[in-house]
Amino acid sequence: MISLIGQKLFSLTSVYVLTGVVLWVFAAMTLGDRANKRRISSALFWAILGAIFVFAGAMPHWLTGLLVLMMVAIDGTGGVSRGHYNESTKAEQAEHASRVGNRVFWPVLLIPIVTFAFALVFLIPYMQRLFGLDSTRAALVGLGLGGVAAMAACLRITGDKARVLMNEGRRLNDAMGAVNILPQLLASLGVIFTAAKVGDLIASGIYHIIPANNLFLLVLADCLGMALFTIVMGNSFAAFPVIATGVLAPLIIKPFGVSPEMVAIITLTAGSSGTLMTPMAANFNIVPTALLNMRDQYGVIKFQLPFALTIWSLHVILMWLMIKLF
Amino acid sequence: MHLADLLRLSGIVIVIVGLALRLRTTLVVMTAALVTGLVAGLPLFSSEGVFGALPFLTKPGQEGIINMLGRAFADNRLMTLFIITLPAIGLAERYGLQEQAAKLIRRVAAATVGRLNIVFQLFRVLTGILGLRLNGHPSFVRPLIFPMSIGAAEAELKASTAEDLSEDIVEEIKAANSASENYGNFYGQNLSPVQAGVLLVFSTLTGLGYVVSVWTLVFYAIPIATISVVLGMIQFWLLDRKYRRKAATR
Repeated sequence: MISLIGQKLFSLTSVYVLTGVVLWVFAAMTLGDRANKRRISSALFWAILGAIFVFAGAMPHWLTGLLVLMMVAIDGTGGVSRGHYNESTKAEQAEHASRVGNRVFWPVLLIPIVTFAFALVFLIPYMQRLFGLDSTRAALVGLGLGGVAAMAACLRITGDKARVLMNEGRRLNDAMGAVNILPQLLASLGVIFTAAKVGDLIASGIYHIIPANNLFLLVLADCLGMALFTIVMGNSFAAFPVIATGVLAPLIIKPFGVSPEMVAIITLTAGSSGTLMTPMAANFNIVPTALLNMRDQYGVIKFQLPFALTIWSLHVILMWLMIKLF
Repeated sequence: MHLADLLRLSGIVIVIVGLALRLRTTLVVMTAALVTGLVAGLPLFSSEGVFGALPFLTKPGQEGIINMLGRAFADNRLMTLFIITLPAIGLAERYGLQEQAAKLIRRVAAATVGRLNIVFQLFRVLTGILGLRLNGHPSFVRPLIFPMSIGAAEAELKASTAEDLSEDIVEEIKAANSASENYGNFYGQNLSPVQAGVLLVFSTLTGLGYVVSVWTLVFYAIPIATISVVLGMIQFWLLDRKYRRKAATR
């Protein structure tokens, strides 16, 4: 019985529903925000996203798909806009800061602590069985419940109203705007690329271009193909099976008799170097620029570019050397 | 290659051109998805329920583009879960979170922007080794690492308030913070046999008929992980050096 309640509470579904409710609150507040010039379409956008969070597990996929199309249409016509958030003045902030002091850290620390605790506790096989949750998903449940715990702690420490709390959340959410849904959209694009066999096309292109007897060129093609495909898909995990099957196994592992583990893991991280360079990996490169209110949407990618190019080149050299030496 | 094959790459062209022209990203991605699906001959809807009777929009036994879109969007809600952390972070910011974090770090004499980023990258490698998958940008970078870095920069550049730092420096610090999260996360996670990357490689190689071990995969991930830490240290050390020189000329 306890484990059944636990399974319901400590599940991704429950944190999705909570997130959906938060989005609905944002939507309702947006609807009442007369400073927002497109308040009705903005509210509709967040309400639809909330509905997808709450119901997508139970809804037929075609309906979710159509709702996603609606959201893109709203954003595409400039329908997602910002409003007014009663931002506090410098003097108020100073007064608040002197009253609350370092206690302000507690709610914010709760988020990583709860995330961490969940991820750790669910490394234990007994806990995994009891609640039907593995560590990776548990960390996400922890992130969600940590967010809720942090809200409660914040209200207690500051003594402010729930309305102010949600309005501050809406301020940050609106600052990011439709960028929020980009990672999910790109994941959908990846699925459609896979169904259209775009990856097989790239792999067969490499297969036909590269001379099969030159080890260095083959290693170069493997790492380059992996990085390029990751840049297009925004995800090295989607690229790896394609490159491993189309290039790595037939052209490097088999003819040269090398350890598959050695070359495979280096191929994977050659893809990670591509992830550092692409706006298609929105959750890693674009969402942070929105979270931190950066002026340049590509600011993170530009900073990462010298690192990414260097480490990618080292992948090529390392893999070539290791095959030569071992 | 046949023309039909080349057409299937049109989605990639749409993305590159669309992003280069700075068109609205959501619209560009959606257009690329629909065009790629349609030129590959995929139906718009799966042939089931109400759509079973529609002859042109469905093909028997094939998943429709709209269905795929909905399925992938629903499955990837976890990427947008961070929204639930925004109210607490927003209210804490209203009550001086960033100022307090900056104040705290100014008291640590050894703290510099570069060193903070190095320590954070190492911390993310460590969480990777422990097999933990964390989404560090909303949970660590925005609420803690960024304001701490601003505090360190104030001390480093001898600025009395955050407003004294130039916009370019603040922008660069934000980028560096986000990058150290990515460096630590991407290359550190392969040091654990329970992480998704290692498991993906394991299952792919097994599927290709090779007998492999996850621990051997982890072993061969060590050189690149080490290189990533060294490269990160160099880049962040260079950042510190730049700020030291700036401070000297003030």
